[in-house]
Amino acid sequence: MSNNNNYISKQKFMEELYRYKKGSVTRRHFMNVTGLGAASAVMGAAMPGLLPRPAFAAGDIGDRVILATWPNYHDPANFDAFSEATGARVQVNVFGSNEEMLAKLQAGGSGWDVYVPTNYTITTYVDLDLIEPLDTSRLPNYNAPSYDPRYAEAGSVGGKLYAVPKNWGSTGFVVNTKHTDGGQPLTTWKEFWDITMNQFSGRTTVHDYQLTTIGNALKYFGYSFNSIDEKELADAEQLLLDVKPHLFAISSDIQPSMRSGDSWLAMAWSGDGKQLNTDMPEIAYVLGAEGGELWSDYYAIPKGAPHMDAAYALINFMLDPAVNTKEVLAHGYPTADATTTAMLPVALQNDPILYPAQDLLDALEFGAAATLTDPNRAELMARFKSA
Amino acid sequence: MKLYAIVVYLFLYIPIGVIALFSFNAGRHASQLQGFSVKWYAIALDNPFVMDALKTSLIVAFISATCASVFGTMAAISLQGIKGPLRTIFDMMIYVALMIPGIVIGIATLIGLVTLFNQLNPLLEALWPAGLQPPKFSMGFGSLIAAHTLFTMAVVIIIIRARLAGMDRALTEASSDLYATPLATFRQVTLPLIFPAILAGFLLSFTFSFDDFIVAFFVAGSETTLPVYVFSSIRRGVTPEVNAIGTMVLAASLTMLVSAQVLLRRGEGKNK
Amino acid sequence: MKQRTRNWLLLAPAGTWFLVMLIVPLTVVLIFSFGERGASGGYVPALTLEQYANLPARWTAFKNTMVLAPAGTMAALLIAYPLAYFLAVRASPRWKTILLVLVIVPFWTSILIRSYAWIFLLGGRGIPALLGWAGLEDIRLINTPFAVLIGIIYGYLPLMVFPIFVSLDRLDKRLLEASSDLGARPWHTFVHVTLPLSIPGIATGCMLVFILLMGEFLIPAMLGGGKVFFVGNALVDLFLQSRNWAYGSAVAVTLVVVMLVTVTAYMRLIKRLGAQREDVAIM
Repeated sequence: MSNNNNYISKQKFMEELYRYKKGSVTRRHFMNVTGLGAASAVMGAAMPGLLPRPAFAAGDIGDRVILATWPNYHDPANFDAFSEATGARVQVNVFGSNEEMLAKLQAGGSGWDVYVPTNYTITTYVDLDLIEPLDTSRLPNYNAPSYDPRYAEAGSVGGKLYAVPKNWGSTGFVVNTKHTDGGQPLTTWKEFWDITMNQFSGRTTVHDYQLTTIGNALKYFGYSFNSIDEKELADAEQLLLDVKPHLFAISSDIQPSMRSGDSWLAMAWSGDGKQLNTDMPEIAYVLGAEGGELWSDYYAIPKGAPHMDAAYALINFMLDPAVNTKEVLAHGYPTADATTTAMLPVALQNDPILYPAQDLLDALEFGAAATLTDPNRAELMARFKSA
Repeated sequence: MKLYAIVVYLFLYIPIGVIALFSFNAGRHASQLQGFSVKWYAIALDNPFVMDALKTSLIVAFISATCASVFGTMAAISLQGIKGPLRTIFDMMIYVALMIPGIVIGIATLIGLVTLFNQLNPLLEALWPAGLQPPKFSMGFGSLIAAHTLFTMAVVIIIIRARLAGMDRALTEASSDLYATPLATFRQVTLPLIFPAILAGFLLSFTFSFDDFIVAFFVAGSETTLPVYVFSSIRRGVTPEVNAIGTMVLAASLTMLVSAQVLLRRGEGKNK
Repeated sequence: MKQRTRNWLLLAPAGTWFLVMLIVPLTVVLIFSFGERGASGGYVPALTLEQYANLPARWTAFKNTMVLAPAGTMAALLIAYPLAYFLAVRASPRWKTILLVLVIVPFWTSILIRSYAWIFLLGGRGIPALLGWAGLEDIRLINTPFAVLIGIIYGYLPLMVFPIFVSLDRLDKRLLEASSDLGARPWHTFVHVTLPLSIPGIATGCMLVFILLMGEFLIPAMLGGGKVFFVGNALVDLFLQSRNWAYGSAVAVTLVVVMLVTVTAYMRLIKRLGAQREDVAIM
């Protein structure tokens, strides 16, 4: 081996780093060209955990990993990079609600390796013994101190780590201002529901998800987003039944119809808002002044995952700040990881959709575990849909 | 009249044309044409999950259609010689299997088997020699094939019974009068007569199983058939890859249909 | 005696299959329908009629199904009949086979993909855009019962055309000639000769389509935007979202009972109507 092979100029290194960040070369290419692969192999062996390193060589982890996640929530290029680096292809299954994920796991034999539960569901998964405790030694890229505890603490139950933070965000709504009075966006949930029953009849999409659809209907009356009080739920149900004839659709995948112009107003997760707003500036993302949901999603491994090694490898890969940065750039959901956040463009770090103003943020609530298992909320949603 | 037929054919073919058209879309979004390209075909063919799903669908369809044809034919023949309560029970079961919507078959199989497995698995674990990994039942290939076979077997029985009913009884009677064994009678008289019906039953079963979404949605466990894969791609936000898959499946079935037709014609020609 | 043993052996595999895959699961569903929902979903044993008492909460889903399934069947029949008639009576023999195959070919693409094509066609950039061009502004088609109806007709038309074609094709053309030779007007010939003779085909087609529609889930899910709900959609929701196995079982049992009653009554009716032919069977 000649020395020349390992030599790389500073300028070339920066070029390659830039190319890697842009996504035009893979991690493996970057590692090889810069010699970081060899270096990290040596240093990683001497000081494990010092450098992010690929946990497995190609072929070791099998040829596939199956991921259950939410719509519009990943940068496909990262999955390609993962397959390139490890030899395992990522199959993505998309779900519309936490209930749907839970139902599939409860029925057994989901076949998933990694899934993405939301903060308030994790205790239920632990209770039902459907989630695998995580071995942090297999997640060298998980640097716990770098994560904001507000968005990371739900991953631990009874002192055991079950899930590591993916992204956090808010649930508001998107509105196409081409159709509002004076091009002004709406500001409250009350306006959201009122305009649906009038001017926007037939143009509004609500989530196929009890937590947000019922929660934001509760907000119309100023009740808690998480209420399981029977009287308050009855009010919300009446509102939903009144609104139903005026809806465009009940669906959690709101983007296609907002983009095509069939729908003008839709409940939305902040990343949906960011993605739509970037492509079509006339679509605004709004947090209802009354409040709504603040959430944090996690990577977790279900009990009995068929490709456990690949599951750890995938989670570890996604937590790599360089990869995570590209994820955030693609989907527009902030991360709890300070290292990743620091790598984002400054404009994005100050983006009002990703990072809402303090007073709006303060009004938001985390989902409560009780809403997931409460039979009344589940049945209310089902009644609303079948009405 | 002709005009009417043309309109109906347009109604039937415009959507298919749209699917095929968008499969050649160069852009990422399925609803906006952005130039011509065949790249989505390459992407679909290179996608191991598409190929796996296709393989799963073909295997499941083939095994369940085979089971349905063999067991269905056996049952249809034996039912000819059976009268009394057993016959009534069987007729009722066939009737129920045909009437019950696929979605109920899916649900019933799901909760029936999950309940059964929850009883069986601990039992097996207790009975199994210590130190060895006991086998564990779960939803998957087996449950999917079993559920598809149930429905398609009922169809096969109906088709073959119709054929047997139209068959001249005198033929089998003549055969046994000439001292042919029942097996020989079956091989030389009955089978050739009902073979077209068995083939039709097999093809129908295969098509049903290959095309089924709703039963697989419930009972396939971790297996992914092609329709289940397509359903989840549609939810994931469609790229023209789905269109390419659909167009290819259509083209493949058309080719099969046409070549079967040609083969049949040729066979007929020879017989003449 | 030997004959008997052989018959039993031949029947054994099919019998076992029906027992394990049909009788046992349906019994489980029946038992579950008297149970209760577990604290976090699933099923806990109980003996209660609570689930059945709660059935009115799905009244709309049943109503939609009981309205749209017969309506879809009728619409498919009305569209299919003239086509089948054309194919069987009017089309030249040379074209007949090809035209018939052309009716079946769309059936060979997955119903998923075909419905998905309609999402685009009925969406804002499809037919409504064309209509807007023609001056008909603000027509909304997607996510309406009308869209579901179109999807239904499109999905099941071939199933209706085929049996009707078969029954019309068997019809002796000399009968038609005789009728017109005797001075009957074409309309008369149709009502008194052709139509009665094609009733077995109509009966088969309607039954096939109706049975499939009663359990429909996909078409309303894709073209109804989660708003047009069939019993099938309610069932998927109960098992795959709210995880209420007990209630879901009660809904499933009710659906099966409704279907068996409707279809049995329908078959009686067809028999009474004078189609005493034996070929009111599948295909």
